[in-house]
Amino acid sequence: MSKELNKIRNIGISAHIDSGKTTLTERILFYTNKIHAIHDVKGKDGIGAVMDSMELEKERGITIASAATFCKWNDHEINIIDTPGHVDFTIEVERSLRVLDGAILVLCSVGGVQSQSITVDQQMKRYNVPCIAFINKCDRSGANPERVIDQLREKLGHNAIAMQLPIGLEVEHEGVVDLASMKAIYFDGDNGEILRTEEIPAELVDKAEEKREELIEMASNFCDDLAEAFLEEQEVTAEMILEAMRKGVLARKVTPVYMGSAYKNKGVQPLMDAATQLLPDPSEVINIALDLDQDEDEIVLGSSAADPTVALAFKLEDGQYGQLTYIRVYQGTLTKGDTLINTRSGKKIKIGRLVQMHSNQMEDISEIQAGYIGALFGIDCASGDTFADPKLNYSMTSMFVPNPVISLAIIPKDNKSQINMSKALNRFSKEDPTFRTYVDDETNETIIEGMGELHLEVYVERMQREYGAEVATGQPRVAYRETITKRADFNYTHKKQTGGSGQYGRVAGYIEPFADGDFEFINKITGGSIPTQFISSCEKGFKAGLTKGALMEFPVTGIKVEINDGASHAVDSSEMAFQAAARGAFLEAYRKAKPVIHEPIMKVVIETPTEFQGTVMGTINQRRGTILGAQEEGPMCVIESQVPLAEMFGYSTILRSSTQGKAQFTMEFASYKQVPKSITEELQKKRDEESKKGAA
Amino acid sequence: MLKKDLMMRNPLRAVSDENGYILPEGGLGAVVARAGVGKTALLVQLSLNSLLRGDNVLHISLGDPVRKVSLWYKEVFNNIGTHYKIDKIDDLWNELLPQRFIMTFNIDGFSVPRLDERLTELADQDIFHPQMILIDGLPFNDQLKRTDLHALKDLSEKFNSHIWFTVRSHRHEEPDSEGMPIQISEFSDLLDVAIKLEPEDNEIKLNVLKGSGSISTQALALDPATMLIKE
Repeated sequence: MSKELNKIRNIGISAHIDSGKTTLTERILFYTNKIHAIHDVKGKDGIGAVMDSMELEKERGITIASAATFCKWNDHEINIIDTPGHVDFTIEVERSLRVLDGAILVLCSVGGVQSQSITVDQQMKRYNVPCIAFINKCDRSGANPERVIDQLREKLGHNAIAMQLPIGLEVEHEGVVDLASMKAIYFDGDNGEILRTEEIPAELVDKAEEKREELIEMASNFCDDLAEAFLEEQEVTAEMILEAMRKGVLARKVTPVYMGSAYKNKGVQPLMDAATQLLPDPSEVINIALDLDQDEDEIVLGSSAADPTVALAFKLEDGQYGQLTYIRVYQGTLTKGDTLINTRSGKKIKIGRLVQMHSNQMEDISEIQAGYIGALFGIDCASGDTFADPKLNYSMTSMFVPNPVISLAIIPKDNKSQINMSKALNRFSKEDPTFRTYVDDETNETIIEGMGELHLEVYVERMQREYGAEVATGQPRVAYRETITKRADFNYTHKKQTGGSGQYGRVAGYIEPFADGDFEFINKITGGSIPTQFISSCEKGFKAGLTKGALMEFPVTGIKVEINDGASHAVDSSEMAFQAAARGAFLEAYRKAKPVIHEPIMKVVIETPTEFQGTVMGTINQRRGTILGAQEEGPMCVIESQVPLAEMFGYSTILRSSTQGKAQFTMEFASYKQVPKSITEELQKKRDEESKKGAA
Repeated sequence: MLKKDLMMRNPLRAVSDENGYILPEGGLGAVVARAGVGKTALLVQLSLNSLLRGDNVLHISLGDPVRKVSLWYKEVFNNIGTHYKIDKIDDLWNELLPQRFIMTFNIDGFSVPRLDERLTELADQDIFHPQMILIDGLPFNDQLKRTDLHALKDLSEKFNSHIWFTVRSHRHEEPDSEGMPIQISEFSDLLDVAIKLEPEDNEIKLNVLKGSGSISTQALALDPATMLIKE
């Protein structure tokens, strides 16, 4: 393994579903000699693209798990993370972005910047990932790279600048003009593997010169030497342009745009050159860990191989030989036989087999250096765990994990399925922090929770395919919540005298709506009216009341409790008594505090041909949705709306049938909002019916 | 209660008729200013004034994406919230949201027949019925014909609403003999109200170029820090 950090690139390929990123990755692996034949994503040859290693992904033509793969290009070593394109799997995208140093944003030359590109772009901004853009599918009818560059500027606010000009578009797409070197590049051979460099075609010379001028003008913002050379009309070389652009890219101030068609084998090699020339190496990225011994102080990690080791497990996979843990080493070197600490659990781990992954083939290695991505065998851990040298108690920055918004009851069909199901659930909840599971105390059903219908559907299918667990599913349930709308006082005495020692405790104070979190407990007791040792019992009692609201038994959130008075008894007061008093007090105040039901509202963005605009808006309207706006762009229209999750079940089928399959939508959680009164009544009715059924 | 309170404190009330309207049904109004002086901010406040009254507002932007227009509303609304020290501004915002509809077009993609088609579709399906239409960014240049404005007037009558435009002026241009900016000089007879925003001292004055009733007499200005209207 090379020791030169500046020759390493950890890159991700992020894009909207169907922009062709898996095809692009496949071509990259082909050109870097990692695979020897090219397969289509929706594989007619029954093999499918190499990066989509999961059966399910092959079938649906989508990429779910971010397989990491390694390849070499121009004596650089490149780790590629293939990231999922569907919003329901964004935790996967976010987790992969965390370990990347740079990214290629793939856009479709026809579809342009689509809603998912916007989400992915926001995530890249959050993790400060420098990127270059690739406008794919220039061979498609309606291809318009210039429009896509404009959209990058307008919609995503990128300072985008073309590095190339297409030679012909749609069926006439033959190659690209490189504006830095002012050469035309054509892609010959059966699979475009032979690059032929020629003079720029006469009809494109003027345009190329004009675009080069624009490029130099942009690049000179990042390099004084280039600016000077440009102003003094000296010759500007390709190297000077690339050097200046690199500075701009690293600072996330400019997005160079490349173009081509991965499917038609055009423009991939120059993009690879650009990835090595313009994206940062691991030493150029600042990585921060939290020192758990110093109150989570931020520590900048050094990228030297000699420092104590810090590594992050960012992805788990279940393979034939047990759990495979993808890791990125941030500092030091991870060597076979090392002992490290998992800082989350405090457990010691011994590094056994180390491998470098190429989708589902692997290569054994003896060490992984800082800046590298590799995989470990036989380590028991969860995704997002940090492994550190025993001298250090560092954790990599914790990742933001949203709360699930939807749940589903699953029932195994037989005993074997039951056992396999638990295995699968155990694995999935370790792999994906947004996927949770628990057993409902009352119904004894296993419940899975996640970020959307598709999210859960995929896990149910994986259970069956990978673990052979046949399960039946119940109706998806929305994660409703209860909260209060006004302040209410309580003054509650819990008193019991049933022979033996009695129970006594009185608590007084108030509850009120709390906007900044789920729960806050404030103790304003003075003069010891409630002895200090019982205060925590009071808090426990209130918290117990939150698990099931008195209105409709949904969890209660957004409540502040203040206790300011109470009473105790020298003999009869106990922790139990005060917990009971607090529970009683909460119930007493809760009814008075005008409780309401809140439901998750999703941000739904639909892209549809303009002729279906009215129909699509109608479907939103029927679902209690609020249309925020409609944006017309040529033949397409983007409708932004907010719709209650409860109304979105089965929407993809409805949308498909009402638009001849020409519209697509993305959905993500936006906020919780109060349920209208009529719907609350409906919920109440449904609940009553269910409990009647249960009783019968 | 909160809504009423905000409406009572609204400086625009002074220039509205007894029903709270500045423009009559089927009326056209123009807000003229140089780039960056506050046309959109004023438009959004005219819109919020209507939303608070319970009217539906269609905001059409030629050029800006939906997200940017939403941001304008959020910004102005939050400024109003801070200015009048209102709690629970989010609840009020959620209440107003369904009354607002943003539509954006590329400038070349916009035409009156197309707008008519969209509005008819929305109305037929009972999705949205605007009482006020705002058009931000309509280019008042050689290509805009009197017939276009007539068509817009017809459209606003058809939907029982009124239309406000923004008109971008330029620093070096002299007004016509009647004091109208040259961009609207040709159309001034079709407009019911024309307001020009002009930076003066430490504020932005709303100069009423055309209009009748109280709007012609009231002196209003925008606070350049918050872009809110003050009396």
